[in-house]
Formats: sequence, C-alpha cells, structure tokens
Amino acid sequence: MSTKAVYGGGPRGWLVALALLAPTFAAAGVFLYYPAVRALEMGFYRTRFFGSQRTFVGLDNYAQLLTDPGFQLSVGVTVAFAAVVVVGVMAISLPIAYWIHEVESGTTYYMLATIWPYALPSTVASVILLYLLHPSLGIGTAWLATIGIDFNWFRYGWAAFTLITLVAVWNQIGYNVIFMLAAIHSLPESLTESAVLDGVSRTRRLLWIYVPLISPTLLFLLIMNTIYAFFGTFAIIDITTGGRPGGVTNIIIYDLYRNAFEFDNHGIASAQSVILFVVVGLLMFAQLKYTDRYTHYGT
Amino acid sequence: MAPDTTDGTLEGLRGAATTEPVSGRDRWLHLGLVASIVLLSAPVLIAIVFSTKGQADLAGVPTLSPGTNAIENYRDVIVDYNMGRYMLNSLVMAIVITVGKLVISLLAVLAIVYYEFPFQNLAFFAILFTLMLPIPVRIVPLYDVMVTLGWTNSLWALTIPYLASATTVFILRQHFLAIPDSLVENAKLDGVGPFRFLVFVLIPMSKGVLAGVAVIMFIHGWNQYLWPLLVINDNDLHVAQVGLTIIEDVADTGQRPWHLMMAGAILTLLPPLALLVLARKPLLQTFGLAHK
Repeated sequence: MSTKAVYGGGPRGWLVALALLAPTFAAAGVFLYYPAVRALEMGFYRTRFFGSQRTFVGLDNYAQLLTDPGFQLSVGVTVAFAAVVVVGVMAISLPIAYWIHEVESGTTYYMLATIWPYALPSTVASVILLYLLHPSLGIGTAWLATIGIDFNWFRYGWAAFTLITLVAVWNQIGYNVIFMLAAIHSLPESLTESAVLDGVSRTRRLLWIYVPLISPTLLFLLIMNTIYAFFGTFAIIDITTGGRPGGVTNIIIYDLYRNAFEFDNHGIASAQSVILFVVVGLLMFAQLKYTDRYTHYGT
Repeated sequence: MAPDTTDGTLEGLRGAATTEPVSGRDRWLHLGLVASIVLLSAPVLIAIVFSTKGQADLAGVPTLSPGTNAIENYRDVIVDYNMGRYMLNSLVMAIVITVGKLVISLLAVLAIVYYEFPFQNLAFFAILFTLMLPIPVRIVPLYDVMVTLGWTNSLWALTIPYLASATTVFILRQHFLAIPDSLVENAKLDGVGPFRFLVFVLIPMSKGVLAGVAVIMFIHGWNQYLWPLLVINDNDLHVAQVGLTIIEDVADTGQRPWHLMMAGAILTLLPPLALLVLARKPLLQTFGLAHK
C-alpha cells in the first residue's frame, strides 16, 4: 500500500498489525459502533418502565416526531441557532485573524489574547454570561436597560436566543481564529507583496484575494461550527435557559436528553439520535464532496 | 510567560508587511485587535472582580469595584463546595483520557502506516468514521452499556468510552507519513523491530506533535459536561464542570451565591487556560501555525 510499509507482508505481519489495531478497534466497537447500532434499533421500539418493557412500533417514533409541533419547533430553532452561530463566529473571527496576520508588532501576544477562548469550557462561559446578563441582577442587563433594551430572557424569546448565541460564539472564536490564521499564513508571501505593490487596499486584499484562497479552510470551519452548534451546546442550554421560554431555545440535543433521561422515553430519544446522525453524516459528506469540487486549493 | 520564547514563535511569518513603512493604517489594526481582545476577555475579568465580593455586595446589580472577600470566597468554593475534589477528578479524567488516546492511537498508526495487511484502507476508514458518532448520537445505548458493565459512578465510565480517537489517529498518521522513507529503511536494514522503532525512532521524532495532540485532548477531556453529568451521581465523583453547576443548585434553595459561582467558574477555567498558554508552541504547531 504505502512505500513505508516496511514491516508488512505475510500472515505474521497481518497478525501483528491486527494486534496493534486491537485496542482502538475494541474501544470503537464497544463504545461507538455497538451503541450507535443499538440506537438505530431502539428507534423502532417504544420502551416503558426504564426499558424493562418494550414493543416494536416500526416507524411510529419517527412519524410521531415529525408531526409533533414541539419537535418541529425544536428542529427550526436548532437550524436557526446553527446558522446564526456559524455566520456570527466566522464574521467575527475572520477580521481578527486577518488583523493578526497584517499587524507588524506584538503578533504572538495578539494571537494568544484572541485564541484563548479555545480553552474556555462552555460551562464556564455559560455561568459567567448567565450572571452578567441575568434579567434582574446582571450588570450587562442594567447597561442595556439604560439604552432602552429590556434584555429579559426569562420572558422574551429573542433575548434567550441571543444569550445562547453569544455564549456559543464566544466559545468558538479561538478555534476559528487558529484555523483561519494558519490558512492565511500558509499562503505564499509573494502574493501579499504583489498585491501591496499594486496598491490593493487591505479590505479588498482580504475579500478578493485571501477569502477565495482560504475557502477550503472556511468550508471546513463552516462544517465544524455547524457540528458544534448541533452537538456541543448542551451545556449552554442546560445551564442558562433550560429550553425556555416557550421552547425557543429547546435545541434537539437538549430535547433528546430530556426525552431520554427525564421522561424515560428511550424510543423517541433514540429516533432523535438517528436523525442527528443523519445530519452529521450529511454535513461530513458535504464537506468531503464540495471541498474538492468547488473550492480552490491555494496552498 | 517567558518573553524570549514567545517572540520567537512567529518570527518570519509576517511576510512582506515588514518591508512596508509603518503607516497610519497600522494604528487601526492595533485598535481593532485591542478592541476585540477587550470584548473577548471582559466577561472573565468582570467575573474575577465579582468573585472577590461578599454576599452583601450582590443584593442588586453589583458595581465593578473589587470586594475584599477573595481569599474567603475561593476557600469556600474549594473546601465547602468541594471544588477542590471536583477539579482533582477532572484532572485525573483528562490525564487518563489523554494518555490512553495517545498510547492506543500510536499503536494503531504504527500498523496503518508501517504495515501491509488486507483491508488496510477500510481499517483506517472505520476509525475515521467514528467522527460521525458523537456522544449524543449514541447516548441512551452507551448509558445502557455502562449499566451492564457496572461502570456507572466510576472513573471507567469517565474515561474508557473516550479512548478511540479518530482525531489523534488522523493527526499522527499525517505526521508519520511526512517522515522521510530513508529513515525507516535504515531502521529496517539495521534490523530494528517495530516496537523499538516506535519507541526509539518515531516517538522521539514526534515530540512536538505528540505534545500538541496531548494539549488538544486534555482540553477536550477537561471540558466534558454532558456525559459526566449523566453517568456520575455520587457527590464525591463529580467533575469540575458539573461541580460548578452544583454551587448554583445549592444556591437555588435561598439567595444565589453568585460570588462563589464566579469563583468556581474562574477555577474551572484556569487549568485548560494555563495549559494553552504554557504549551502554546506545540499546540500551534500541531494546528499548522508557527511552523516556519
């Protein structure tokens, strides 16, 4: 297979290779593949009394989900949340990464001071903004009130949605700046030189030269940020809004958790798991497919 | 933070800009960056200020002046609210996950890169495919597996399900493929066996990337919330992420001790943040930054 395969060949080599792969395969099999297949199976059953009784219901769980206004709202909210988070975090991170690339002094300090949210746990981000933007106690809410904005997210859906979006964007900025900066840095220096000589302004250089050239990285980040919004944001909802008010922040992963472990509805929760798997599968597929076809590799 | 090493990290990366005369526009760059940093960091700085206040200072909307209860608050959180214990649990969890992932991934990559066997591509793909199976996709059956194994409320449940790591395998494979063939052939000619090759040739040549992956995996492990919340019920076994919310829950019974919650948040942030700052070089190298 590869020219590096110096230890391969023959059944003896196969056995050693298998033994080397065994720990990873065992862990992946027992804790990833087996539960995933089980989730697919459980989606066809209705369970009661903590799983002790179950009946085969075919696609009933899926039919029930798709016609349930609560789940429809949850899907809509999740898609809207993912869209706002992806656009928000990338629109903020791109200029930051570009400025760090362009600035002539203090580069490393600027980099550390903007990528640190990579280490920010979503629980910590949630608890801090929960307090700073608390409807009655928050210092940020008090400031907003002085300019006439009533940021009461206990009551208003738009405020609750804004709160969870702020936490998610804050949480993802470090990761995005790291990858964007790496992509911009990897472009040939002659490109910048000739653009500067031609008198292309800084903003135009970013939008017309760099953005098209780093589009593979931008697409990668688009997918990773979407996956984050779908799967990595449970803590944010659990700590701040709890899905309220009126289900406006009840994203699928939070709804799934409550179905499974609060309402003991394992069949429905498993069907939701399968729906989420389809989502992540389509996203990964799109990344593999369109990265090759429609984006330019400048590096 | 040692300034000498910090300055060296990005040397030579600024490109043509260095030949440009310092212009007034650079002032705008600095201004934009400083403003971004202030916005990104302000919530944490305000939280630090609030973590020094007493309960009495927090009756309504608090002011931005620091309080005098810092030592008392952090002591309360660490001792009375058990955050010291929770952070130790998180530390053990994150370290076991990091070391475990590195060890089993190194073995797997040794097979994938340096061996030849049937269905080799399929084996690699089967590991990569696990990227499509984040915990929410399999959470109910995975919990059942823990019950079957009798692992709930144990370190096993907090660590073993995380060990198979597509990301680690992927990054290490890329790195090994970039190692010159001649080196490997020399090792083969010298009759060095695969394990000696791994321990004495590959690992010493991969210190940077191994450190970088370790930082990524430690931060990832430390920041877990959903799974530990579900699988641990014993009060002494919680991780810091969950312990942080317990401060709030306790508070639900009466006046919320916001000052203690802020102290708990700062404590939970410190270990991954310190690691990011201290290990910035290998971390950024692994992400493809500062490689020149």
